[in-house]
Amino acid sequence: MIKILISFIFVITSTLAMAETSKRVVSVGGALTEIVYKLDAGDLLVGSDTTSYFPAEAANLPKVGYQRTLSAEGILSLTPDLVIVTEEAGPSAVFAQLKTAGVELLQLKAGRSLSDIQENIQIIGVALGKSDKSRELAAELEAATAELKKAALNQGTKKRIMFILQHSGGAPMVAGMDTAASSVIELSGAENAVGEYSGYKPLSPEAAIVIAPDIILVTTQGLEQVGGKDSLLKIPGINLTPAAKQGKVIAMDALLLLGFGPRTADAAIELNQRTKDL
Amino acid sequence: MSLMSKQVTVRLPFLRFKFPSAILLGMLLLSAIILATSIGAVSIPVSDLVTSRLTEQQQAVLFSIRLPRVLLAIVVGVALAVSGAALQGLFRNPLADPGLIGISTSAALAVAIVIVFAGPLTGLLGLYSLSIAAFLGAIISCFVIFRFARLSGKFSVTYMLLTGIALNAICAAGVGILTFLSNDEQLRTLTFWTMGSLGGALWPSVIVAATIVVPASILLIRSARELNLLLLGENEARYLGVDEEKLKRMVIIATALTVGAAISVSGIIGFVGLVVPHLVRLLLGPDHRLLIPASGILGASLLLVADTIARTIVAPAEMPVGILTSLIGGPFFLWLLVKQYSGRFGI
Amino acid sequence: MISVKNISYRIAQQRILDDINALFDAGKISAILGPNGAGKSTLLQCLTGALKPDYGCVTLDGRNLEAYSLVDLSKKRAVLSQSITVSFPFTALEIVLMGRSPFTLNNNSSVDNEIAHETLDLMDAWHLKDRSFPTLSGGEQQRVQFARVLSQIWDQKNAYLFLDEPTSALDLKHQYKVMEIIQNQCVEKFLTVIIVMHDLNIAYQNTDTSYFIKNGQVQVFGASKDVICSDILSDIYDLPLSYAAQHVNYGRNSSHV
Repeated sequence: MIKILISFIFVITSTLAMAETSKRVVSVGGALTEIVYKLDAGDLLVGSDTTSYFPAEAANLPKVGYQRTLSAEGILSLTPDLVIVTEEAGPSAVFAQLKTAGVELLQLKAGRSLSDIQENIQIIGVALGKSDKSRELAAELEAATAELKKAALNQGTKKRIMFILQHSGGAPMVAGMDTAASSVIELSGAENAVGEYSGYKPLSPEAAIVIAPDIILVTTQGLEQVGGKDSLLKIPGINLTPAAKQGKVIAMDALLLLGFGPRTADAAIELNQRTKDL
Repeated sequence: MSLMSKQVTVRLPFLRFKFPSAILLGMLLLSAIILATSIGAVSIPVSDLVTSRLTEQQQAVLFSIRLPRVLLAIVVGVALAVSGAALQGLFRNPLADPGLIGISTSAALAVAIVIVFAGPLTGLLGLYSLSIAAFLGAIISCFVIFRFARLSGKFSVTYMLLTGIALNAICAAGVGILTFLSNDEQLRTLTFWTMGSLGGALWPSVIVAATIVVPASILLIRSARELNLLLLGENEARYLGVDEEKLKRMVIIATALTVGAAISVSGIIGFVGLVVPHLVRLLLGPDHRLLIPASGILGASLLLVADTIARTIVAPAEMPVGILTSLIGGPFFLWLLVKQYSGRFGI
Repeated sequence: MISVKNISYRIAQQRILDDINALFDAGKISAILGPNGAGKSTLLQCLTGALKPDYGCVTLDGRNLEAYSLVDLSKKRAVLSQSITVSFPFTALEIVLMGRSPFTLNNNSSVDNEIAHETLDLMDAWHLKDRSFPTLSGGEQQRVQFARVLSQIWDQKNAYLFLDEPTSALDLKHQYKVMEIIQNQCVEKFLTVIIVMHDLNIAYQNTDTSYFIKNGQVQVFGASKDVICSDILSDIYDLPLSYAAQHVNYGRNSSHV
């Protein structure tokens, strides 16, 4: 928290100091990149990482690699003035190297809640001199959040959703508590069917039967990896769940669903809607 | 003859004290099967099983999840232990195991390639894409070994070992590169695959694996007598009428098939191929005619027990069974070494 | 009878055996002698069928060695190699029984067991039969291997026995015994024995024919008692005549029972 405040202050002062210079910015982390574009600051971006593929322009930016395996030289070759990262990015030695090279570093919290996202929007807005736009965006997010709360309240019985990350031939990898998937599910007014553990873990096939989720949630990328809806519903254990018997599968884009970026509220609303429709 | 003065009762040495141990092993397997069938997230008590008073849920779990998994554990356990025993005979070294000649690493490389690159392929082959890749990887390694082991004209066991070392290094490097290129999800998929799991047991997998493992294992069991003779030395075996070139080829092919089939359905499960035959040798002696089938039985039992633990100890999550076999196998192996080498100097 | 016609064997550019001719009569004990690296073991391997010569042929009982199947050969001839490491805990008895395997399929019949016990007893190793083979001393192991090899041809007529340095690890007592057994077996069963050895004394006392191999060629051959003499020795082993003479005198002076 203190780190964030310090960065905040540092950024404000340095921005005021060089108010007119057009910055060269590198953004690492799909959610953060989305925020930059939403703030109409996309033209400042000279590079991003491989998890930044939305909007389409972001996908076309020069790539500095995967957010957890960055290289200082790769980033420096784009001669950035500012690098925006989440605390999930790494390795940490790279950041020390960037600082020594005189590059400004903005390290933000990895979003886990809507208020986190609001905070990040604020900070980035200030850093890029887009405070007005960021206030606009914040208001949009507030409205979406309110709509979400309304929809979530009008639920009736909460549906029990199980999120499957991937399947590698053994037991399927399923989201427990404290995961991005779990947070989005809860936001949408449903319940994460798996409450017994935290993180993504291989779920014993028989446990899946006992847990008996109503709906199976996957990313579109994950669904493709498994080989489609039919293959998904044939996974041992999953095949005997109520969700599989009724064919209730929802697939959403990975960045949209799990990224915890500005579209998260929209993602939760979409999930809520599709849950109702099934 | 002078024999009379010694008053020898000529007993058949083959069957000496081995029968009781063999029966013990059989009972061990039976208990393991019963244990594995009744324990799980959905409890199926033996009493209900025997009297056929099962609820619909129990029946569904039993037939579509529990039974295939139990059978898969047996098939994989047999495959790994039998091929381990045969390889130890072939290399005349009790420290050999299928990983030595590069079969597991090649399978891992094939799987890594599919995970990282072949998105569209998984669409086509769905759940079986990784299995097919693993099996192909194992078979390809077999061809590579054959090609290089014959460099000197004759099929040399030394060249096989050296080729295996090189193959292991190359495939490990390949997997490393692919790990580097992978994203979070792919990395996790690959990591868990290499740790081995029986959680994906489906009837088709069990049947296909059994179709490969059973005949190949029978082949290996039937070569037991010749493997015994091979332990005297390659030339010596030849002098006693064994076509040792043919034998070597056959053992490598059968091993690649069994291990390839096992890896394709369960990922990489370590230590079973190394420790089980060793253990059986301690209990029942080095005669392959008993060693190979007994290893199969013990391997199946051990894997059944390990898998039962793996899927109950952190329920509802499950541990990859390969971790358990290594966790148990490693220290156990050390204990074996201590026990053997304190005092005697034979193995 | 084994006849060897013009065999040569080469590794890379090196000629290990160069146009060798030899005849080994049935019922006789022949020695193959010569300095290290002369090609003795290679010659033995060509005789046993372990190696295929590049040129020439070896015939056994009138038939080309290559025409025999492995199984048929294994019923006709037994080979004791120089040093065999067995690192698995088979008992001595189990090792000897392996010698009977060309005749049994999977189960050891009582006949095989009897033969195994007999040969072990003959080699003064019966008391070792239940011991773990790797724990035996070098000499004991060699005697057990010898018992195995004997068991292989124990009940065969006109069989062949090939030995590569059979007495290298044995003490004097057992050296004597082993050669005595070889001679008895040779007479009793009309065995043809071919021994590669270094010990000239034993060759002189116990063998009928000797072949001296040097540089891949047969330098001299003939009756052992004729051929093992100081002139030939000094020539073959590049020794001064006086030294060679000493060696031969030692052989001639010891009394043979």
